[in-house]
Amino acid sequence: MSGAMGARGVLVRAVRRHLSRLVAGALLLSVHQAAEVAVPVAIGLVIDRAVATGDRTALAWSVVALAALFAVLFFAWQFGARQTLVALERETHLLRVAVAARVLDPRGHRTGLRTGELLSIAAFDAQRTGVVLRAFVVAVGSVVALVSAAVILLTIDLWLGIGVLVGVPGLAFATQAIAPLMTRRSGAQQEAAGRTAALATDLVGGLRVLRGIGAQHAAAARYRRSSETALAASLRAAGTSGLYEGVTTAAGGLFLAAVAGFAGWFALTGRLTVGELITVVGLAQFIAEPLRALGWCGGQVASARASAARLAEVFDADPDAAGGTRDVDTADGITVALKGVSYRTLQDVDLDLRPGELVGVLASDPRDADALVAVLAGRAAERTGDLLIGDVPDGELHLDARRRAVLVEQHDTALFAGTLRGNLTAGVHNGQLADPEEEVLRAVEAAAARDVVDAHPSGLDHPVTDRGRSLSGGQRQRIGLARALLSAAPVLVLHEPTTAVDAVTEERIAERLSGRRTGLTTLIVTSSPALLARADRVVVIEGGRVTRTGTHDELRAADETYRQVVTR
Amino acid sequence: MTAPVGGDVVAAPILPVADARRTWLLLRDELLAHRRSAAAVLVVMLAASAAGLVAPWVLGLLVDDAGAGAGTDRLVPLVVVMVVAALVTGVLAAFGATLVARLGETVLARVRERVMDRALHLPSATLERVGVGDLLSRVGDDVSVVTGAITTTVPEIVRASFTIVLTAAGLFGLDWRLGLAGLLSAPAYHLALRWYLPRSKPFYAEERLAVGERTEAMACSLWGGETVRAYRLEHRHTAVIEEKSQAAMDLSIGVFRVFTWFAGRLNRAEFVGLTAVLVVGFFLVRGDLAASGTVTVGTVTAAALYFHRLFNPIGFLVIEVDQIQQAGAGLARLAGVANLPGAETPENPPVPADSGIELEGISHHYELQDGKAGSEVVRAVTLRIAPGERVALVGASGAGKSTLAGIAAGILRPTTGTVRLGGVDLDALGEAATRRHIALVSQEAHVFAGTLADDVRLARESATDAEVTAALDRVGALPWVEALPDGITTVVGEGAHGLTAAQTQHLALARVLLADPAAVILDEATAEAGSAGARTLDRAAEAVTESRTALVVAHRLSQAVAADRVVVMDRGAVVESGSHAELLAAGGAYAALWRGWTGPITHTG
Repeated sequence: MSGAMGARGVLVRAVRRHLSRLVAGALLLSVHQAAEVAVPVAIGLVIDRAVATGDRTALAWSVVALAALFAVLFFAWQFGARQTLVALERETHLLRVAVAARVLDPRGHRTGLRTGELLSIAAFDAQRTGVVLRAFVVAVGSVVALVSAAVILLTIDLWLGIGVLVGVPGLAFATQAIAPLMTRRSGAQQEAAGRTAALATDLVGGLRVLRGIGAQHAAAARYRRSSETALAASLRAAGTSGLYEGVTTAAGGLFLAAVAGFAGWFALTGRLTVGELITVVGLAQFIAEPLRALGWCGGQVASARASAARLAEVFDADPDAAGGTRDVDTADGITVALKGVSYRTLQDVDLDLRPGELVGVLASDPRDADALVAVLAGRAAERTGDLLIGDVPDGELHLDARRRAVLVEQHDTALFAGTLRGNLTAGVHNGQLADPEEEVLRAVEAAAARDVVDAHPSGLDHPVTDRGRSLSGGQRQRIGLARALLSAAPVLVLHEPTTAVDAVTEERIAERLSGRRTGLTTLIVTSSPALLARADRVVVIEGGRVTRTGTHDELRAADETYRQVVTR
Repeated sequence: MTAPVGGDVVAAPILPVADARRTWLLLRDELLAHRRSAAAVLVVMLAASAAGLVAPWVLGLLVDDAGAGAGTDRLVPLVVVMVVAALVTGVLAAFGATLVARLGETVLARVRERVMDRALHLPSATLERVGVGDLLSRVGDDVSVVTGAITTTVPEIVRASFTIVLTAAGLFGLDWRLGLAGLLSAPAYHLALRWYLPRSKPFYAEERLAVGERTEAMACSLWGGETVRAYRLEHRHTAVIEEKSQAAMDLSIGVFRVFTWFAGRLNRAEFVGLTAVLVVGFFLVRGDLAASGTVTVGTVTAAALYFHRLFNPIGFLVIEVDQIQQAGAGLARLAGVANLPGAETPENPPVPADSGIELEGISHHYELQDGKAGSEVVRAVTLRIAPGERVALVGASGAGKSTLAGIAAGILRPTTGTVRLGGVDLDALGEAATRRHIALVSQEAHVFAGTLADDVRLARESATDAEVTAALDRVGALPWVEALPDGITTVVGEGAHGLTAAQTQHLALARVLLADPAAVILDEATAEAGSAGARTLDRAAEAVTESRTALVVAHRLSQAVAADRVVVMDRGAVVESGSHAELLAAGGAYAALWRGWTGPITHTG
């Protein structure tokens, strides 16, 4: 993608991508609108030519003409509406997938948006932007309807036509003008209703916590109060919206009386035929529809523009890391070196990982740990200092090569819908495993997660639901660890991998971990003494700087602060 | 699906859904409670619809006058009638709309309050069986679907229905034969619906399912975005999203295809009715059906205009039929919760003699998805906790600690065995009374949205700010609370100030202090804060368990050191029991654990 798209770019591309469908849709819907205009005209004609004259031939022709009119009306709508919908759905689909692809892009993105916001962009903003295509088509159709109604009215009677054509839009504007009063009230109402709805899900989400302390009564009372407030706001809004309803109804009725009065006057004085009288009155009522539709289009375009701006924010986002073109040979293990790295709270950090080493990092401030993991994961674009992976500066490495060399397993384990096996083998590419079943189970064993697999009759094929929510936190953490161990990445970075497991299990994991990573490089950011004790070397980071290095035993023996931090 | 305390996945049965009759009964009860407003709505809306019929009727009279070549004498009075009718319609429409909205909103508020009340007081046994997921979708999605229907669709439907009924009546009022002619469209509408509903219903269900899968796929991948990138899975995940999105899109287009054919059938019904009115009118005017009297051109005009007036409301009703069905389904799911029996409360529960907890012969297994019994997670455990005694429960993941804690708190009913509090069986005590005596802090953590003080105050609504502050102080949370932008009035929870896992835990413990029960069960698992944070939490837990009977699931062994007694569990059974010092001296399982926990001196890996 070259250059920023902006909201305009997103909308223009949407229209361009589906231009032929849109043109076809607009033409057909215009025909449909013209046919809708023709219905009251047709009623007037049939009354005039057939009912009033008693001519059977005219009646027969009337029926045939009506049938033809309805057929045109329907088919034009059917094909036009389908073309429009297909364009809308396809555009929404393309936008949705594009957002997902951009968010998951290995270069990362610097939108500063949270996942929830990104999801809502992919779902709602894509949809709202797609609707602009329908608005486009409907606007064309409505204009055609207005023009054809105007032509008919003006041909019947110039002055009456002008009166209707000025009166209807005037009325529409007048009712639009008083609408803000109503929407302000209903805004307050929606806000109160939204708060009540959020409270309901919040309280039920924490229901187990409430129950633990017997606070259900208090919670129910709290909800009732919020519901009452929302109700009071709704009742207040009901008055204003009722008033609005009444005013618009009365205004429409009065306008119709005026048109009927004048048209009736002309008919009684012979200036109009009976059929023309019916047509004029019928059209005066009908014109309100395309006008309303145009108003709708205006609203949709405004909301589509806002949504397109949010989409553009994602599409135009700067990457976290562009990546280079070089590869790195990992066959004999590789070194990783941080030289004078500063990022967020980290200041001038030097760190060397040699092939086959197991290094523990103890960071007393969790922010230092987060920053270090972000640097190693390549998510720290504003970093200063050098990061060499296999002696290649990480900026020059191809992103795939970089990710093949260094694997970072997040602290907050993310599992995906599928099976246990599917999740465990996420890091296994192109059939690296000679004996899949056996090797998967060995990794599971190393992560002390055998009980998770054994708990279910289907074993490794046990289904995992969305985000692994069917598993407990401790189970998720251990499956994530097993996944990382199975991938056998040349360099593995683990971030507090045992916080959700109990002491006994942690001890088991610590025992098995180093054996599993023999010959490979491992960095564990942790404060667990069980894990630190197994490290070849422990690096202590305090206040953003590396302050000490040594083995766990050395540090524990020599250093009171270290003892303080790791003793439990 | 949600994991129970222990972690094992149990069956996912859902809460009941009310049948049509019981759903209607729920609505009827609420409407009867507001019967005067309901009657007013009926009268005003009928009157408004009737006033709306005046205009086409007057127009018919004008047509007659024009056809007869009458003078303009009648024009002014006729226009005046139209003007008056317009004003009356306006006033009635305003009242009608207001009354409908007020009635609908009031009924809605009562229903949602009742549903929430039942949901919050769901008996533990039911909650553990169904999980929170289904309940969340009821108080969330279903309430919002029903709310949307009541605030927007229902008033429109009421208005459309009245318009249809009265316009049809007006048609008959003009001339019964014209009325019958208009009625000829009814079978056509009926056929259209009969064609459409059975085709669209499964289609819509499929579409909703596909949309759900698409949303899930996106959520899953985006939430785990960093992991997706780390494991180089982006192509695989994007492909899955594309596939799901494509499937949902194809279904949406398919659904619309069916809908357009349905719309065609509606057009056909309109054509049939309009033509019938005009043709019958033709013969009536000619006097071919003179035996039963003739009608004027004006009457036929009015009839045709009446019928044309029906297009929109009938179309609306028929098209909204889906929406109505959906809202009906949502309401049925709400009624299912609203009609649940409340928790059983014994009349005069016996009073526990003290705060000692006795677990006798406890065995437990969860029910699996297929209804079969899972493996036994607690086996024949007998444990007595004296009043004021602090017992720590130690063991590996899956040893049954959390399950035993849930049973001791009376949240889980053991498959066999009895739990007594101060000599009284928890079953006899009832859930509400049990909760006044025993508090449970489980692994599930939740920060309730609102101010921090209100969050803590959930435990005791009457607590003053000073009491809340004191509770926070005792658990050692005051330093960080005071450092927050607005202190205890800082808004926390989803979408507001985020709290760390350790801070969340602090709040949970402060709530227990405020609730002030005689016994506490702590099953809080967090070492997220690192060792230093864990020590702070240990001290907080000590403050909470002080001078109370306490069972503490020790995820960190430091919690065991402070206990009066340590109980070690393995595969559901108690294997060791004694004080920290005794067990260390005994050199058994616990002693081995302790050595591992404090960090081995030499490398063993």
